[in-house]
Amino acid sequence: METSAIQTHGLTRTFGALTAVQDVTFTVATGQFFGFLGPNGAGKSTTIKMLTGLLEPTAGTIEILGRPFSASALDLKRQIGVVPEGMALLGRLTAPEYLRFVGRMYGLERETVNRRTEELLEFMQLADERRKLITDFSHGMQKKLALAAAVIHGPRVLFLDEPFEGVDAIAAGMLKTMLQGMINRGATIFLTTHVLEIVERLCSHVAIIHQGRLVANGSIEDLRAGVASTLPGAVSEQRLTLEEIFLSIVGAGGQEAAQELSWLA
Amino acid sequence: MAGVGPNGLPEIVSASPISQLGRRQYGALVAMRFRMMVNSVRSVQGAFELSARGIAFVIYSLMGIALGFGLGAGSYSMVSSEHFQYLAALLWIVFLVWQVLPIALASFQEQFDLSSLLRFPVSFGSFYLLSIVFGLVDVPAILGGICCIGIWTGVTLARPDLAGWTALALAVYALFNILLARTVLAWVDRWLAKRRTREIVSALFLVFMLSLQLLNPALRSGARYQRANRQTAAANHQKIFKEIEPWARATHQVEPWLPPGLAAGAIVQSAQRLPNLALISLAVLGFYILVTGSLLGVRMRSEYRGERLSEAPATRKRTADDSRWLIDGSGPVAAVMEKELRTIPRSMPLLFAMGAPLVTVLIISTVLRNTSEGGRPFQLAFPLCVCYALLGFTQMIFNNLGAEGTGIQVLFLSPTPIRSVLLAKNLLHGALFSLVAILAALFAAFRLGEPDLTLLATTAAWVLFALPANLAAGNLLSLTMPYRVNLGRISRQRGSQASALVSLLIQAFVIGCGVTVLEVCAYFGKRWLAAPCLLVLAGLAVVVWMRVLAHADSLANRNRDNLIATLAKTE
Repeated sequence: METSAIQTHGLTRTFGALTAVQDVTFTVATGQFFGFLGPNGAGKSTTIKMLTGLLEPTAGTIEILGRPFSASALDLKRQIGVVPEGMALLGRLTAPEYLRFVGRMYGLERETVNRRTEELLEFMQLADERRKLITDFSHGMQKKLALAAAVIHGPRVLFLDEPFEGVDAIAAGMLKTMLQGMINRGATIFLTTHVLEIVERLCSHVAIIHQGRLVANGSIEDLRAGVASTLPGAVSEQRLTLEEIFLSIVGAGGQEAAQELSWLA
Repeated sequence: MAGVGPNGLPEIVSASPISQLGRRQYGALVAMRFRMMVNSVRSVQGAFELSARGIAFVIYSLMGIALGFGLGAGSYSMVSSEHFQYLAALLWIVFLVWQVLPIALASFQEQFDLSSLLRFPVSFGSFYLLSIVFGLVDVPAILGGICCIGIWTGVTLARPDLAGWTALALAVYALFNILLARTVLAWVDRWLAKRRTREIVSALFLVFMLSLQLLNPALRSGARYQRANRQTAAANHQKIFKEIEPWARATHQVEPWLPPGLAAGAIVQSAQRLPNLALISLAVLGFYILVTGSLLGVRMRSEYRGERLSEAPATRKRTADDSRWLIDGSGPVAAVMEKELRTIPRSMPLLFAMGAPLVTVLIISTVLRNTSEGGRPFQLAFPLCVCYALLGFTQMIFNNLGAEGTGIQVLFLSPTPIRSVLLAKNLLHGALFSLVAILAALFAAFRLGEPDLTLLATTAAWVLFALPANLAAGNLLSLTMPYRVNLGRISRQRGSQASALVSLLIQAFVIGCGVTVLEVCAYFGKRWLAAPCLLVLAGLAVVVWMRVLAHADSLANRNRDNLIATLAKTE
């Protein structure tokens, strides 16, 4: 039985002269809800692309479920589910048609595909929209469909890039329940989002990437303790939120500069 | 049969492109493409698009049948008269059809982007196979296939005993062409994705153009000179032919080792009862297939590993001052023109549209010059060359919002009327067309001799008519039948056959108007009247263009949902 679901060592990706991700090493244990955070352009999506086989690393190694990705890419791709950055939906299909297509691409039997398609449409509350083209879906509905497509083959590791963006509160609550259920059944979830409250509520461990380098990695409690120890006494005694931890590690960025925009009303 | 795992997945995974998983994936892709086609009929525009595709398919098929019939007749004649040595020329024609058309039609054809399949467990073998299979139903492949069938029919009718060998040789030759067309497009896209290689390609293109220009005086003395002194011209020709003879001989020696020569050679050798030699020819052709397939494999391997052409950054960061304005003025017209002007050098389809007509003008003028009698070229040759310059702008003018993408929403959100946006685009496109038309006219004049003043005036008047007429129709079509254009690449565009068909019909009408006016005036012996008549039409066209601009905002608002859905939403 594998001890880690995801393990990277020295993961690096360059685009010409630009190094998008540099020497990133971390481990995600099986059954963990792992948050991967970072400001815009930090290298989150590039890392996810490498972890899901959409992009080859320039250097470093990736192990998924204890097996090197480079050697077992085809089989590992069947064990993982992905909600990619742009959702990668096919706008001129209906939701059931799209789910059936994805299921077949993973090699599922016809009966299995049909049964799971119906169950997922019901669960995602998309059953009433079965005749509508995906291009006519709202952004939130597209997100739900992308998530349904990512889990139709029953993945053991799920990669989610901004899954809650544009999803209404009711649907978000339902999705969280579903994801928590997957975790309880032993799946591993790798989540990137800018909504830090969600990470704080769902994830047990987080890693923070900044300018392509991993600047923090551990349980939220460990990070909280680490950051608190660097702060003055009175502040360190308060319970820091993940947002405060994040800002403390990454820096406030352009907040001071924004205050200088005196021409803004 | 493979077992089923706990999560419903087949247990055995094979990287073979014909594995159970691979076969299921092909089935899924075929079903997906079929459903997408069926679903496209749901909207009026989609139905129109599908109809246009059907019409285009019929037109291309008829063109292919005509060409195939001609090639069939040619091959029949050659084989029945035992003139096998000319068979290679027919296969060179097929080669040109197969290799030139994909680039010319790339932006009008819808092609599926296979990179979207990479998140699925698709093996490299399947990915590679799919990249070839998806190219089997495009226009060049249809035309090339029909041409091959035509040649096979001609050869078989003349010599039924050659049917088998000819079919084999043509099948191998067709496979080579399919692979080469895919390889060329894949590599061209790769080279043009980076600034440095794009600059190198542009420089090579310029050198090519200049070389053609320098070749012209070397091969032929000027038309005036020819008329003045035929004997000296003939002597000059002999001298030039003597100079190029060694080159021609060397080419003749090399040609049998090139793919068309090898395929033709296999047919000839089988006719001469030399099956071993025919097999060797096919083996060498197979070697070409192997090399081409490997080059395509290198490209596909990179794409399979996640390379995105749009993500290929410039190797050196620009240090130029980006705050400099190219077009002065703070108004929206200047802003849109500035944006367009900055976009064009980064856009392959647009650069291609502007550059390709000039090359074609050189080819047309050469053909017309060589077929002219007594050194006097076909009288419509000059306006024809200028006309062709306009054809290159078809996509740019008739889908002028296509490159906006999600930016189309900014245009609707900003307090700028759409008519200002279209006006800016029209002014810039008009200026660019004028530049290209002047260059085309200069090229044509250089190769064909200066046109007489009447023809020059008529051509200028036609341009004054054609440009606003095209811009008016282009604005209407851009607002009602838009389609998204990826400025980063030539191939794998999402083009619209309906828009292409309608725009080409409009072009044909505009060109037809010019030809009709000129010919009617010539018929009555008053060619000078053509220019004033066309100027009247030009005036009318300007009025129509201004009317269309005036109604652009109401039309844009009526089609707002469609515009945003088509240009900005999920594929």
